[in-house]
Amino acid sequence: MVSIHAHDLHLNYQVREKLTLRPRDKRLPQTGGTISGTGAHRFVTALDGVSFELEAGDRLGLVGANGAGKTTLLKVLYGIYEPTAGSLDIRGKVDALFNINLGFRPEATGRRNILLRGLINGWTEAQIAERTEEIIEFSELGEFIDMPFKSYSQGMGARLAFSIATTLDPEILLMDEWIGAGDASFQKKATDRMNKLAEKAGIIVLASHSEELLAKTCNKRLELEKGRVKAFG
Amino acid sequence: MLKILSNALTDIVGGYERRRVWIALATEDIFDQHRRTTLGPLWLLVNYFAFAATFIFIFTPGPLDPLHAIYIGVGLLVWFYINDTVTQAVSLFEREEGFIRGTTLPLSVYVMRLTLQNLIRSGYALAGCIVILLLAGVVITGAWMWSALGVLLILIASPAVVAVFAFLGVFFPDSQFIVANLMRVAMFATPVFWGNAGGDPVRTALYYWNPFTYFLAIVREPIVNGSAPLSAFGVCIIITLAMWALATLLLGTFRRQVALIV
Repeated sequence: MVSIHAHDLHLNYQVREKLTLRPRDKRLPQTGGTISGTGAHRFVTALDGVSFELEAGDRLGLVGANGAGKTTLLKVLYGIYEPTAGSLDIRGKVDALFNINLGFRPEATGRRNILLRGLINGWTEAQIAERTEEIIEFSELGEFIDMPFKSYSQGMGARLAFSIATTLDPEILLMDEWIGAGDASFQKKATDRMNKLAEKAGIIVLASHSEELLAKTCNKRLELEKGRVKAFG
Repeated sequence: MLKILSNALTDIVGGYERRRVWIALATEDIFDQHRRTTLGPLWLLVNYFAFAATFIFIFTPGPLDPLHAIYIGVGLLVWFYINDTVTQAVSLFEREEGFIRGTTLPLSVYVMRLTLQNLIRSGYALAGCIVILLLAGVVITGAWMWSALGVLLILIASPAVVAVFAFLGVFFPDSQFIVANLMRVAMFATPVFWGNAGGDPVRTALYYWNPFTYFLAIVREPIVNGSAPLSAFGVCIIITLAMWALATLLLGTFRRQVALIV
């Protein structure tokens, strides 16, 4: 059975001062959270005691201001960042849709990009071949599928990305700032597919600032503030 | 220490399992870089010929010596590969930042992607080198087996060298410019197109204290002299083992931290 059990998750790390001849980089780290210490001994607490449990069929909306830790939590769930403390028990295959253009080659055709993106996602060539036509059909790209990706509008690219990410029925799907992919009819198709995923015992974790989208899509809500859980339910 | 080794091995095995990814991406990279050009990747061959002709016809005094042409032809082939490997490795993780922060691909996927890219580039230069060898009337001997072993050793060392310089670039961003400049100087400080006659002490010191000398020698000497450069092999094997030990240590220690640092 698909599930996510996160208990007292922490992600703390030291800001490593790079050896550089330039003035020191004073920007905030990309994980958000809170910073303590000064100079070469700055520490970031990106996640601070985050706990929640999700079971099959749950669609969790992650909310919070910029830097609250939404993306960081998604990346911890996906396995990009390793929590420094706490326990994380994930049952089910996790797929993620963070950066819709990631891995897409501007010069390659949409069809070639399906292959490349599939390989990056860890699919076999047989799985990719089996699903290619379905991806093309769902993305509504038609003859554009054999045109270079760089000729696509942002919406077309997003439609292709969404179609690929959701075509293999991921058991757990993580999405950051869900794409406004395409026109209203495609949005409806995408929402329907997400609903079907959730119905098929999947879990969706969606980070967004759109209250309307979260209300329409999610049945649970986790609010983060400076890496801590402010509200869950 | 065991955990470090286990982490590094997990990454390397993961990279092998995802070999379809780096093979596909490296191939795309080469063709993308030349997609709008008429000659395409053949520009890599033209580039090789331009350098080889310059060193053979302009920088070599006296009448044309076929043996010297072979010396330069093979030397340039190996040097271009080493130069590409080192200079591009320093900015590797920075270039792959999007993937590193957005996917769970092992770091060795990026290391192998660059290694294969450089190998494909060298394939075009190799075609040029073969032409030079044929024009120079080279005769294939049994000693060429040593040369093949030399190529194999360089290929074995490559992923480790890429990984070490990639980590250097993460922790010391200025290193990409420092390394690029050092490699430009190193081309002239390495016996790519000059030999060591033993008369000039500076040249002799550069010859013997330069690690690149030995990597050139293990491929070139069997072809040019028909000899087995055993001492050069010894030096290269030690360097290769040291680079793999360092790469394993870095990969095992920092592989999960790169996403937070890069």
